[in-house]
Amino acid sequence: MERGYWIRSKPVYTALLWNTKATAHAVLAAGEGGLAVLKLFQQALPEQAITVFYSPAGASKDYLPALQAAAGADLQVFETTAALLEAWTRYLASARMGLRIYSAGTEKFMWEVTDAAEAFGTLSNDVMKELTGSLARSVYCVHCKSLTHEVTSNIATCAGCGRHLFVRDHFSRRMGAYMGLMVDAENPGEVPEIEEIYP
Amino acid sequence: MSQLQVKVAAIDDVSAGVRHFTLVDAHGGELPAFSGGSHIVVTMPAPGRTYRNAYSLLSSPENRAHYEIAVHRQPQSRGGSIYMHEQVKVGSVLDISYPVNLFALSRVAKHHLLIAGGIGITPFMAQIHDLERLGGDYSLHYGFRSREHAAFADALKARVSQRAVCYDESLGQRMDFEALLRAQPLGTHVYACGPQGMVEALVSTARGLGWPEHHIHSEQFLAPPVGEPFTLKLSKSELEITVQGDMSMLEAMEAAGVDAPSLCRGGACGRCELEVLGTDGELQHHDHYLSDADKASGRKIMPCVSRAKCGYLELNL
Repeated sequence: MERGYWIRSKPVYTALLWNTKATAHAVLAAGEGGLAVLKLFQQALPEQAITVFYSPAGASKDYLPALQAAAGADLQVFETTAALLEAWTRYLASARMGLRIYSAGTEKFMWEVTDAAEAFGTLSNDVMKELTGSLARSVYCVHCKSLTHEVTSNIATCAGCGRHLFVRDHFSRRMGAYMGLMVDAENPGEVPEIEEIYP
Repeated sequence: MSQLQVKVAAIDDVSAGVRHFTLVDAHGGELPAFSGGSHIVVTMPAPGRTYRNAYSLLSSPENRAHYEIAVHRQPQSRGGSIYMHEQVKVGSVLDISYPVNLFALSRVAKHHLLIAGGIGITPFMAQIHDLERLGGDYSLHYGFRSREHAAFADALKARVSQRAVCYDESLGQRMDFEALLRAQPLGTHVYACGPQGMVEALVSTARGLGWPEHHIHSEQFLAPPVGEPFTLKLSKSELEITVQGDMSMLEAMEAAGVDAPSLCRGGACGRCELEVLGTDGELQHHDHYLSDADKASGRKIMPCVSRAKCGYLELNL
């Protein structure tokens, strides 16, 4: 993408910060998101109960010992993000208003966490998000409607129909994915140079 | 603003100081559709001046044969609620605005917590129709001064007794906002309508417990507070108008024939916002629309409820 290009649908991810007005806190992280949780625990802790859901899958380092030291009994560890998301959904079913939600990890993971919370009436903007590890994108093919995950290049090959898709910045919060359009629709076979721009 | 003409079909006294009006289309047709939480602005052509007050529609939004409103006779009325109580009879024809909704139910809420104080019950009467029809999950908490002030409490008991909790203050029954808000499931939206102190306490308790702004809804229609007279200068119209102490700037402009924008007339919607060009005194903001920063800047004002303590105030209109 062009330098500095931004459209409204493209999410802005910041660093996790405690929301001190709350009744409880849920922190969800996967892989490199462990580092964001450690940074969060460096801040003055809120008074309310904290629950940390962490899956080490995909981390470049072993953050577990440091996380156990920081969060202690508040930490729940899951082997896979799928297991983490199941536990998260069970937690949400009995959660009360005033719960503050924090997520850190890949974009796909953060939007899976958000999607689960939205099913319980939380607005996506009320899930705080810190992107860690990679800029890789999920891409939604506007032609065959399938999703292609972990796309790191400007042009992706659609996992559903095999078309070459130009990866736009136009983001769907509902799907947690960027729009992908056939890049050589006008001149079949004319595919621009493929570059890794979302490492 | 385009207006509807309605005829008063029935008048009932429903509780101490609260009069209930049933309005039908003056030409015998159907009235425009609306959604629960909507209000209309009623024009009251009193001798010497015209009052315009907003009233929530409390009838079923499915019923387009008539609208219902309830008017609480304000002890310190400037004249509007007294006009409705004393001048309006069965058969009177009134000009009203089309319904406008500034207090709509959220479409994504998993649970609706409705908090009413006194006459603030009215928008919820219509919202409950919508919630019952759509199968929405809700609970209503309704506080009133005493049994004789409990407008519609019996109707609510009959219609939705398992959803409604009443609090009779004369018996020492009070809502515990903190306990109530803490107990709500994730995805709850809270709606408050009633006296200013109650609404402000509810909103600040919810914020303090970490409720996101989009989950907190409130509505209060303010009557323009009485103040001292001053001169209003309108730069574009090149007019100077005297704003009497018991008149709002909006009313003074309308009386002078100025086509000033307005909608709710109660400091809630933001439609009437005007730019302040200068004053020799200070602005007295009374609205719920402008942010604290906007109010402090002294550059904007809502002429429906706000005024100034000054000799002159100049607006860009």
